[in-house]
Amino acid sequence: MLTLLAKLLNALNSESSTRQISLAIAIGFIVGLSPLLTLHNIVLLFLVLFLRVNIGGFILALGFFKGLSYLLSSLIVSVGESLLSAESLQSLFNTLYQFSIFKLAHLHHTYTLGALVLGCLLAIPLYFMCNFLIEKYRLHIKTFFEKFRIVKALKASKFYSVYCQVSGQGGIS
Amino acid sequence: MSRFIRWQGIAGFMVIMALIITFVYLFADALVKKGIEKSGEVYLGAEVNVTNVEILYAPLTLNIEGFQATDPKKPTHNLVSFSQASAGVDVWQYLFGKLHISELNVVGLRIDQPRQSAGEVFFLADDVTNNGEEGAIDSALSNFDMSLPKVDDLLNNSDLLTVKRGKALEQSYQAEMEKLKGLNKTLPNKDSLARYKEQVSALSKTKIKSLADLEKLNTDFKVLKKQFQADRAIVKQAKQQVTASKEILTKQTIALKNAPQADWKNIESKYQLEDVDGGDFAHMLFGEQAREYFGYADSVYQKVAPLVNSSNKDKQNADKQATLAKNKGRYVHFNDEEPMPDVLIEQANFSLLLAQGEFAISGTELTHQHWMRGKNSVVNVESDNIQGAGKLALALEFSLDKEQVLSSDGKWQLDQVRLKDVALQKSSAFNLQLNSGILAGDGTFSILDGQLDSLTQLNLEKTQYSGAGTSNLSTLFIDTVQSLKTLALTITAKGKMTDPEFSISSPLDKQLKKSMMKQVSNKLTSFKTDIKAGLNAKLTDALGVSSKEGQSFVDLEAVVNDTDKALENLMNSDVVKAKKKEFEDKQKKKLEDKLKKKLGKLFG
Repeated sequence: MLTLLAKLLNALNSESSTRQISLAIAIGFIVGLSPLLTLHNIVLLFLVLFLRVNIGGFILALGFFKGLSYLLSSLIVSVGESLLSAESLQSLFNTLYQFSIFKLAHLHHTYTLGALVLGCLLAIPLYFMCNFLIEKYRLHIKTFFEKFRIVKALKASKFYSVYCQVSGQGGIS
Repeated sequence: MSRFIRWQGIAGFMVIMALIITFVYLFADALVKKGIEKSGEVYLGAEVNVTNVEILYAPLTLNIEGFQATDPKKPTHNLVSFSQASAGVDVWQYLFGKLHISELNVVGLRIDQPRQSAGEVFFLADDVTNNGEEGAIDSALSNFDMSLPKVDDLLNNSDLLTVKRGKALEQSYQAEMEKLKGLNKTLPNKDSLARYKEQVSALSKTKIKSLADLEKLNTDFKVLKKQFQADRAIVKQAKQQVTASKEILTKQTIALKNAPQADWKNIESKYQLEDVDGGDFAHMLFGEQAREYFGYADSVYQKVAPLVNSSNKDKQNADKQATLAKNKGRYVHFNDEEPMPDVLIEQANFSLLLAQGEFAISGTELTHQHWMRGKNSVVNVESDNIQGAGKLALALEFSLDKEQVLSSDGKWQLDQVRLKDVALQKSSAFNLQLNSGILAGDGTFSILDGQLDSLTQLNLEKTQYSGAGTSNLSTLFIDTVQSLKTLALTITAKGKMTDPEFSISSPLDKQLKKSMMKQVSNKLTSFKTDIKAGLNAKLTDALGVSSKEGQSFVDLEAVVNDTDKALENLMNSDVVKAKKKEFEDKQKKKLEDKLKKKLGKLFG
């Protein structure tokens, strides 16, 4: 856990670009909201591994948003329910239902469809918001916090040494 | 390109997928076993055990060995258990979110079998409500035994209306008499009336010589008249009281006269003397068991209904399912070229082992969405070793429509079933056991929109009973049953499936009624006569007391009336008028005489 947390902090402070971390968080958000073993999650997992996005950020985002999904479950279901039962979309879903891939992806399940649609819609603003926050962090917050004595004390802790090992800094700077 | 793509990620993806597949392959059996146990425990609220689960992948087949589900109401026993089950699952449909089992075989299915060790109970489902039939015969017979207590005890009961109303009438007489006596004291008595007469008489004898005398007489009589008027007002008040009292007492006397009849009705109802005539003995004797069997069928239905999303419109269940759908979501199926139900078992075979024998149950097209394929579920139950050599054949079809309305009909036949040591009644009134008998029967049933219509005909032959009663009547009942060598029963159950109306008819009713009524009729007739005579005696006594009081009431009424009449006569006396006329006549005569004298002198 310490290593994983250290990796995130390392990712935030490393050469990894802001966009790579933000994209990892956005994809982690989509995967986190949905049931874990779904077809679209397997595709997203492939994308995370295949594209240069920050894997540590993805794993942490996945864990965080998985927890959040339990609180949002009724919202997710109601989004899926309203989409699947909307009169205007009946012909579209009827056509899609004839394809096995649609049923295999469980997109006719209210929770799965609701999570995918809600995840995709909110992932876009989340991506830009993360971009903004990470940049702010790197510019101001990091420098501001480093002035505190407690931060100085933390730098002397075991966690910080793990962090340094992960980041390849090799010791306390 | 390599700025965006991580080629080694493909290898990573393959590794992760391989790990997932390996994990599933290695642990699927254990995961499914745990899943069955946990979901069973959540549903039943008691421990569920599975010895082993094996998954075969080509074709996908699930083998379950040693399934035991603890009965939450009796943890030492299993609600249901089986030694082995295998189910061939359609993988493709399963991935689409549907459960399609081509063939399900369950071997060694048992109900209510003892467990090696008591199972853990997590929560108890709602208790089945008591149908109220229990002990019906007990109360019926014990009540009838109570119906012949000592006549004196009954008649001495202070709650009898005859006694109560007699006392009330007596009290009313006394109260009313008190009021009248109070008024009587204020009435002018005989002396007063005699004095009034003397005064009037004295006035009538007054000599009137002048107009002044006449005026004085008039004044004196007016004074007397005022006195009479005051007395008459008192008399009028007394008369009104007499009328009011008479009304009260008349009403109470009528109520008293009706009391013996009302008392007899109460006694009849309290001791169920009327019910003996319509004794539904077959219902009392077999109704409890018939309800028990239907109750068992109903409890199985209630357990299965929520699983197949049946026509159970119970609000609590509906709410629970709505909450579940709200949190976990649901599959929404659209029109398919080849529609498939969410759950379908194409062919199922069960081998059910009960204490009564082995039953082969087969079912086809088992689902809760029959409209999708337009086929009904068909279930057949057969056995040829019930209680030895007994045979059973049952065939039923059922289907649910889009509105989840259940339609079902079926028929069954039973033959050569040997019954041994069947307890028919265990009550404080008596115990009755069927030691042996051979049962045959057949029946039909249908269910439409939750309404049951069932007809069952049973025939018991070569019967032998034993039993003991705690009263003459229950002993007689047992003797009559024991004398019967055959017994035919017709049971109908109609109405709401969860609470049907039972009707059980049998020649037993007539036989029992006849012999029991013969025995009790003499006793009952004598009892009725004694009670009615006693009640009438009480009525006569009460009326006798009242008649004494009544005489003094009548005397008082006569006194009031006489006084009123006497005062009226006195008031209407013509004393002044008569004296006035007498005075006028006298004066007239005087004038005539005077005139005659003067005319005689003139013409004389």
